[in-house]
Amino acid sequence: MLDTLVNRRHRGFTLLLLCALATLLVSGSASAAEAKKKFKVAWTIYAGWMPWDYGENSGIVKKWADKYGIEIEVVQLNDYVESINQYTAGGFDGCVMTNMDALTIPAAGGVDSTALIVGDFSNGNDGVILKKADKLEAIKGQSVNLVELSVSHYLLARGLESAGLAEKDVTVVNTSDADIVSAAATDDVTAIVTWNPQLGEILKTPGTHKVFDSSQIPGEIIDLMVVNTATLAANPDFGKALVGAWYEILAVMQKDDDAGKAARSAMAKASGTDLAGYDSQLKTTRMFWTPADAVAFTQSADLPKTMAHVAKFSFAHGLLGEGAGSAEFIGMGFPGGVVSGDKGNLKLRFDDTYMKMAADQKL
Amino acid sequence: MSGHTALIEARNVWKTYGDQVVLERLDLSIAEGEFCAVVGASGCGKTTFLRMLLGEEPPDRGQILFDGTPLHMEPDAGRSIVFQRYSVFPHLTVLGNVLLGLELRQSPLLGRLFGGARRYARGKALEMLAQVGLDHAQHRYPSELSGGMQQRLALAQSLIVQPRLLLLDEPFGALDPGIRADMHKLVAALWREHRLTVLMITHDLKEGFALGTRLFVFDKVRVDPQAPGAYGSRVTYDLPLKRPEDRALSAAVPALAMA
Amino acid sequence: MKRLINLQPSRLSAMMLALLPFVLVFFAYVATSNARLEANPNDKLLPAMTSFGEAMERMALTPSKRSGELLFWRDSASSLRRLATGVGVSAVLGLVIGVTLGALPLLAAGLSPFVASLSLIPPMAILPILFIVFGLGELSKVVLIVFGIAPVIARDIQGRVREIPRQLIVKAQTLGANTWVVILRVVLPLALPRLIDAVRLTLGSAWLFLIAAEAIAATDGLGYRIFLVRRYLAMDVILPYVLWITLLAYAMDRGLRLLGRRLFPWQAVSA
Repeated sequence: MLDTLVNRRHRGFTLLLLCALATLLVSGSASAAEAKKKFKVAWTIYAGWMPWDYGENSGIVKKWADKYGIEIEVVQLNDYVESINQYTAGGFDGCVMTNMDALTIPAAGGVDSTALIVGDFSNGNDGVILKKADKLEAIKGQSVNLVELSVSHYLLARGLESAGLAEKDVTVVNTSDADIVSAAATDDVTAIVTWNPQLGEILKTPGTHKVFDSSQIPGEIIDLMVVNTATLAANPDFGKALVGAWYEILAVMQKDDDAGKAARSAMAKASGTDLAGYDSQLKTTRMFWTPADAVAFTQSADLPKTMAHVAKFSFAHGLLGEGAGSAEFIGMGFPGGVVSGDKGNLKLRFDDTYMKMAADQKL
Repeated sequence: MSGHTALIEARNVWKTYGDQVVLERLDLSIAEGEFCAVVGASGCGKTTFLRMLLGEEPPDRGQILFDGTPLHMEPDAGRSIVFQRYSVFPHLTVLGNVLLGLELRQSPLLGRLFGGARRYARGKALEMLAQVGLDHAQHRYPSELSGGMQQRLALAQSLIVQPRLLLLDEPFGALDPGIRADMHKLVAALWREHRLTVLMITHDLKEGFALGTRLFVFDKVRVDPQAPGAYGSRVTYDLPLKRPEDRALSAAVPALAMA
Repeated sequence: MKRLINLQPSRLSAMMLALLPFVLVFFAYVATSNARLEANPNDKLLPAMTSFGEAMERMALTPSKRSGELLFWRDSASSLRRLATGVGVSAVLGLVIGVTLGALPLLAAGLSPFVASLSLIPPMAILPILFIVFGLGELSKVVLIVFGIAPVIARDIQGRVREIPRQLIVKAQTLGANTWVVILRVVLPLALPRLIDAVRLTLGSAWLFLIAAEAIAATDGLGYRIFLVRRYLAMDVILPYVLWITLLAYAMDRGLRLLGRRLFPWQAVSA
């Protein structure tokens, strides 16, 4: 008797709890396409993204946000993939990432994303290292330690292609980027693909050879500031503020005067190196210092070709999701109305509108 | 070979813990075949004396001789013991517990017997179990036995190694009165049959009289009320009892009923 | 009405109460997932139940395009092999060290503080050293597990051995046993049931270390797969894998408990 009473009460309670929980989760996850005033963007440590740290600390981002009457919070995350996942899940309005990850994570996850800022491309920042040989061809038959399904993997695939090899000629060992330097120190690891600063760190060991790097596939590993397309459409001021801030930061840091050095020193410190170290990382990073530069790259006919390469690689590795029937499954938009892939499933857009505004000094 | 000398001889034994004197000038001697009961108030040092006989605790001064030679200061197979609790091994069956004594001694490498040696040992163990009335329970584990049965098992386990001296540390203290009486009969029978030398600690004076051929009383002869620990105990009474069954004697020492 | 503290659930309602949180989470998941999928049909964070089915069919029943293997089973086999090796080695090491230290005060005085300190080192923090000493292969994964749980098991066993009544140790000696035989016939068998419990309790940590090791460098394994597909947010694979790991861990726990009861009947009776 008592028992059934307790049970009945529980049943009502359960229902109540369930409803509460469901509403809570649903309301929390509803993606915002409406106009708003507060925005959050995420960034992680990488040579080409350090300016965001400086922009936040120097107040440049706040200055531009204030100009458009909005608030932008710039948040640093420790884990790169996690930051993109968070963005994809709706936790951030924008996030830094490479072109390949923009395609395979948010775009493949159905989140319509726009590459608002094309910041740089890797021009030697990613490389293939061999321990016992100085020719890429020698990689055949070896185990290669790298972060699987990352740009390192893509670089390896492109490298193998150039050497007349295929992925089946090597064994890929998924190795966390955080541990790849200590992994490289062990004897049984003979081939590594990674990016800076780990790349430079490993190359300090005698007997290691860089046999292939991203400068041999220029413009294919691109670093972007990606924002949610719907959010951007509803809040153009968000885009304007971010782009405005970005090019002001770049203007400060590219000069060799005291202010420029101070800015780069701050970025160096935040990424765990010194001014000389950071400057050398910038050498292998092809920064688009001016908006005009970036616009030109975005408008070039090479970009759709590169992205087609990336899509092909991603599809071959199952990164476009199970629903994907071909490498063209996800539509990609480029300036001038150029679209590749499925027009009905346009999820990744390279948009030069805002960078052009910066170039024309209309921000 | 040693029938004429004492099996146990304690000479001027002292034991102190810190500034607490437990035993002082303890002298006693036990001949082979005697059943000695040791009684005394708690804290009188009777357990300390037992631990010395086991070899767990050395005397501070004085000497204990076992069969004429200084006592080996480590438990060994010459002296067997039945404690009030934890005498039997919970992970072994009744039979396994009794077998253990034969196995441990004869197999210093594995502690196990095989083949013919095992069959022979098994036969002896079953014989022993029959004597304590546990042959029907040979496959049970101690946790399935009553308290009385566990102590029977402990006796069987101790006797199978034919010890020169059997020590009993309040072996029946945790048992019901009825079962205790049964156990008394059993111990008395085993003592006679195996010609044992027994030293039994008990806080039950009647039990001492009922079983012993000799009764030791441990007590302090000097007491300093300001410092209770200043003086230790020794043997204050050493009563020879005619027969274990002879209860008439208990009337002769009414003064002892303080325990 | 009785006080809450005195209310006992009946068998049926106890079962229902036990199921309740699971049902609750299930419905909350489905509701949230549906809402998210309505907003974005390609949402990967909380896939629909059907996506799980499809993903598992692909992983468990369809040979992979690249290697022709059934990835799910290969992952499970690799992980279980590593886990079993790691836990097995830890159990043996823990038992030997724990029994030795517990039984021999002289050795304990010398080694006990060392083992205690060892058990407090977070193994993940010294990963680079493990890599350089043991390489990046299977060995380092097993070593990580061993390093993580063997000292804990050893300390547990040592504690258990210390709890063995002194009387039993004295008793064995009066029956003629030497040090070695006391350990072999008394201490070891009395410590074994605790070993099962210690293994059960450290199994959670063992899984943790296994998955961490597989996340760092591997070519297969349940942890490897989870961290790999996390790169494109394939929760349709990750969540069934997590469920599978939970099931395996639960089965192992139950299995060990049954094994303990079977092997040590003398213990179950006294409980």
